Amino acid sequence: MLAVHHLGSGYKPLQILWDIELSVQEGEWLALLGPNGAGKSTLLKTIVGLLKPFQGEIWYLGKEISALPVHEMVRLGIALVPEGRRLFAGMTVRENLMMGAFSQNDNGKITAQLQRVFDLFPVLKEREKQVVGTLSGGERQMCAIGRALMSRPKLLLVDELSLGLAPVVVDGLLETLVAIKQEGVTLLVVEQDVNTALAYADRGYVLREGRIVKSGEAKQLLEDPSIQKDYLGY
Amino acid sequence: MLYWQVLINGVLLGGLYACAAIGFSVIWGVMNLINLAHGSMIILGAYITYVINSATGLDPFLTIPISGAALFLLGFMVQKYLINHVIEGSVFMTLILTFGLDLLLVNMTLLLFTADFRSITPSYAGLGWEIGTIRVPYTRLGVFFFALALTLILSLLMNRTKLGNAIKATSFDKDAAGLVGVNVFQVYAITFGLGAAMAGMAGSLISVLHSFSPVLGGTFTMKAFVIVVLGGLGSVPGAIVGGLILGITENFASVLLEAGYKDAISFILLVAILVLRPRGILGKQFFAEV
Ligand SMILES: Nc1ncnc2c1ncn2[C@@H]1O[C@H](COP(=O)(O)OP(=O)(O)OP(=O)(O)O)[C@@H](O)[C@H]1O
Ligand SMILES: [Mg+2]
Repeated sequence: MLAVHHLGSGYKPLQILWDIELSVQEGEWLALLGPNGAGKSTLLKTIVGLLKPFQGEIWYLGKEISALPVHEMVRLGIALVPEGRRLFAGMTVRENLMMGAFSQNDNGKITAQLQRVFDLFPVLKEREKQVVGTLSGGERQMCAIGRALMSRPKLLLVDELSLGLAPVVVDGLLETLVAIKQEGVTLLVVEQDVNTALAYADRGYVLREGRIVKSGEAKQLLEDPSIQKDYLGY
Repeated sequence: MLYWQVLINGVLLGGLYACAAIGFSVIWGVMNLINLAHGSMIILGAYITYVINSATGLDPFLTIPISGAALFLLGFMVQKYLINHVIEGSVFMTLILTFGLDLLLVNMTLLLFTADFRSITPSYAGLGWEIGTIRVPYTRLGVFFFALALTLILSLLMNRTKLGNAIKATSFDKDAAGLVGVNVFQVYAITFGLGAAMAGMAGSLISVLHSFSPVLGGTFTMKAFVIVVLGGLGSVPGAIVGGLILGITENFASVLLEAGYKDAISFILLVAILVLRPRGILGKQFFAEV
């Protein structure tokens, strides 16, 4: 579904990512692991077009997309839940969710999808008219995921799923992602906790100092003794 | 009775000021861009009305859509082909660019129209309402009405339409707006176009009441700046409050103080508000932080 070849990227003139090879199969859950500063967010930002690659190619559903502007990605079915949530601070929960459907034109489908998001996150329905600044951390993350889902993505990228959230909240979010995956959405999730990340994922990639240092089946990676070391960056 | 007259004049002028400042306010609020050419765009609008009026005799109020459309186009192009290329960089670059644009507009209007003051006198200029000793000319009333109507229309556009949502989302977080599918650079161009259109239409209104010359642009930019600082960034109610305060204060100052002080009033207000209440009177920022 998504294939990244020989990708280099960063913040001009500083190159962060080097020679990245990565592929995502349709319907799978891919975990992206790596210590702080490894370049995980940089990779996701490059995939969605917030950063332009220095080298290499990004293929999505048979199309080379690395030159496309960010606002076209969502129309192709790629949505990102960015690091730090990045909600529209002065807007209500409902307005944020509706902004997520900005690229959609079919009002019937938008309403149905809004209902779907409220089914997945009932608390968002309760907080519908609240300005997002007043939400708790977990509710914000739900709102951010909900906003991304409003575009009815085929590929959902989630950066820092659990950052700053209580374990029970994270469990809830993970279960929701399982439900989303069952609907046929492909997932690429950046997650701090290696064990949790690999428990849910089908496959994983480990990024370190801007390079892919390991990849494979989630089960194999879990059993790999060097993984914890790689992750922590020793 | 004199004070009532002064107050009414102040309110009527304040409405016009709100309309003249709102474009500046929105451009600043959404893009963090200070348009130093705002006053010159107002003057350009006044000249468009002047040219049409002297060529065809068309009522100045009816030229509003023309000056609005012309300035929208100018603003849209300037943002799309110039400012968009440097807006990601330092604030100084955009300041220099709009400063250059200001110079260009001032010199262009000077070349075309000279520095002589021009004015437009509609047939009904001398008529008005008289209630006791208070006199309200129809022209001032008309200007006030149109100024509020235009400001209201902009407000509806910002708050009730999909375009308005895109503009607001962009002002809150442009990367997040891009992620949900908003073409941020397009939004920037439209926003600058709208701000310029509001300036041009305010210029048409000003031409009905006051004489104008290319060199007055800076004064209007200054006033817009004061109004935005008074009322808070990017907000329509803020611009109205700021406009009213400036309009009323200026009118009272012109009665109570010597004539020369009138223009110093905006400076004094500016300093006072920056010291006392740096976030503006309403203290609410509808769009991005400065
Ligand atoms: N806007 C920026 N400009 C310059 N350098 C940046 C910028 N953002 C990140 N970097 C640098 O890029 C490198 C990779 O950062 P990135 O945010 O991709 O890491 P990460 O793997 O997501 O880390 P974390 O787990 O802390 O989120 C870091 O060294 C960081 O300092
Ligand atoms: Mg990160």
